[in-house]
Amino acid sequence: MYQVEASKALLKPRLWARQSSRLRVPRNVIMLGAVSLLTDISSEMVATVLPMYLVFSLGASPLAFGAIDGTYRGAAALVQVLSGFTSDRWRRHKEVAGLGYGLSALGKVALVAAGNTIGGVGAIVAVDRVGKGIRTAPRDALISLSSAKDRLATSFGVHRAMDSVGAMLGPLIAFGILLLAPARFDAVFVVSTLFAVLGLAVLFLNVEGKPRRAPREGAPPRFSAALALLKDRSFAPLLLAAAGLSIASVSDALIYVGLQRTIDFEPAVFPLLYVMTAVSFMALAIPVGQLADRVGKVPVLLAGHALLFVVYGVLLMTSVGYLALAVCLVALGGYFASTEGVLTALAGALLPEKLQASGIGILITVVSLGRLVSSLAFGALWFAIGLQSAVLVFVAALGLAMAVAAPLLFRAQRIAPNG
Amino acid sequence: MGSRNGKILFALVGVCLLVGAGYVVAAALGPDETTTEARPQVDGAVLAHAHLMVRAVDPANPRLNGRVYEIDGGKARRRSGDLACERVYFAGGRGICMGVAPSGVDYRAQIFDSQLRPVHEFALTGFPSRARVSSDGRYGATTVFVSGDSYLQAPSAFSTRTVIVDLRSGERVGQLEQFDVTKDGKPFDAVDFNFWGVTFVPGDSSRYYATLGTGGSHYLVEGDIAARSMRVLRDGVECPSLSPDGEQIVFKSRVAGSERWRLRVLDVETLADHAVAETRSVDDQVEWLDNETLVYSYEDDLYTVPADGSGEPQLLVRDASSPVRLDRGI
Repeated sequence: MYQVEASKALLKPRLWARQSSRLRVPRNVIMLGAVSLLTDISSEMVATVLPMYLVFSLGASPLAFGAIDGTYRGAAALVQVLSGFTSDRWRRHKEVAGLGYGLSALGKVALVAAGNTIGGVGAIVAVDRVGKGIRTAPRDALISLSSAKDRLATSFGVHRAMDSVGAMLGPLIAFGILLLAPARFDAVFVVSTLFAVLGLAVLFLNVEGKPRRAPREGAPPRFSAALALLKDRSFAPLLLAAAGLSIASVSDALIYVGLQRTIDFEPAVFPLLYVMTAVSFMALAIPVGQLADRVGKVPVLLAGHALLFVVYGVLLMTSVGYLALAVCLVALGGYFASTEGVLTALAGALLPEKLQASGIGILITVVSLGRLVSSLAFGALWFAIGLQSAVLVFVAALGLAMAVAAPLLFRAQRIAPNG
Repeated sequence: MGSRNGKILFALVGVCLLVGAGYVVAAALGPDETTTEARPQVDGAVLAHAHLMVRAVDPANPRLNGRVYEIDGGKARRRSGDLACERVYFAGGRGICMGVAPSGVDYRAQIFDSQLRPVHEFALTGFPSRARVSSDGRYGATTVFVSGDSYLQAPSAFSTRTVIVDLRSGERVGQLEQFDVTKDGKPFDAVDFNFWGVTFVPGDSSRYYATLGTGGSHYLVEGDIAARSMRVLRDGVECPSLSPDGEQIVFKSRVAGSERWRLRVLDVETLADHAVAETRSVDDQVEWLDNETLVYSYEDDLYTVPADGSGEPQLLVRDASSPVRLDRGI
């Protein structure tokens, strides 16, 4: 059983200590990674079976699931900024993150207790999304505040790798349970709830809420100080660069759709696209983080975006074999490994200690807005001038964004203390 | 921190393991609920000549759904053997049964012969939605819903995949998403292209009609399997279904901006359409009993209504869905 292996492996103190010393990652980061791993197992278990549950047990149309899934994603952006600032203001990153994890855990409990109507499931999914929005910024601030500035990228790499292990294990555990007990979705929800509770327990019992870099004295920051980050001499260029780069990056979902139009692969191969990208990401997140700490976060961030040229190149090929497909997916995983976590690490290094969560919240929001613009633009271009030409436009846009972002990022790093 | 917290956590892990494993084992050893049998209830007074294949539905226990019954002379007869289908179709000696794979967590389509014996099988990448077979049994088409694919993150965004299969060999011929589309004579393509609801032209199995959804429109497309191409005919047509003589198409017409539909019938020659007497929202790919009569499922009961807009909907079979007209028996 995966459940047994995962929990035991993660909760054995000796193993932690060994890993920590070899990688020199703070214990708090490993603990936060364990929290995310357990929480991701919990959420992905539910996400995997929810469509089937709605259709086979509640008799819903799959359309209803699409509506449930899509409706609440927009709400998360605003919540991120507010929860980030609130946790800085109260100096309670752990508690605010705990509220987010707690809401998601409550959602799982509610699914066991009252998930037998479509409206009820919709409300529960909404609560889960809000919980995710609340916890991300304070959690990342805690990772940042737990790490020395020259070890930030490794810390984020370790956290993101653990997080994605959870995302891979969740569906496997859910499928395992349904194989043992066919159609017993309640068993999936119960086990999911237990994982969520364990994640919450690790957070409250083992995560230090005031890590080494956490501000302990001085006045609590005002909202105006958080807003002033938007014109901060080192953080504003970072935001600008992040916005440009995210607009020029085609989302992975669109890349999969594009690949699918180009290659006539067996339908059974399709889920493997996600798996292969995820495995590549998992394998690369930690070494890439270490590399970023050694040679600098900005060069790694730029090199990561350059990997997208490989992906775009494969999309431009008229006939794609399985080798090109594999290269494309490994590059995509490498792109993820060397961008999101490294960017957050860079922000963590630039931001003042008392505004870590606010700044990270703003950054996440800017990046997700950039991705939305990117998706809409790519969709519109595909419609207007076709897939190949749309990819060509994005090749040019990415080149331009990198040319603009590189000086901005290097400047941000130079101005910041100990960047 | 300290060892106290470690002990609490250790105890909690133990409790969670016990509760989780205990619950799963209890669920696995729980009563097997597959002992009773769903059976469609035929209203024999209506259309005694109706000869159909249907999918049985048990309103009390969804796990028993999907057995294949033959409705003939006002009686229901179990036909399926091991087949359990979410959607079924049959014509020209070949059938498609879209259902849950033995793993219980994936979907598959089985191609079956006139004895309802599975001869080929292929994996499906999402929920079974629509199945059709050409009148000569040469080609089949399956549509599935794919989740986790709502790339533009728009509310109610969903995705479909429609695959054409050679029913003799079991080989996949192609996916409609990869065929070329023209509109007003010009190439037409967009990221949000979705195809569903294939209906084959009787007597010419290479030609078909289907729905192309993109940017809020639902186009009726006419396609050619050999040429791997389609052209857009008109807007506002979902789940088309050709009459046996190939002259009319019954389709779902969306009530503007909603997930509700009305059934309408269009003339293939002129593309002009009219309403039928059914006023409830029907979400089905309608079947033709003959050139004048429609049969469709509404809330897991089958109803008939005249295609020319006259008359009233009439209940035909209770607890059944996925109706298939059987021309010469099976």
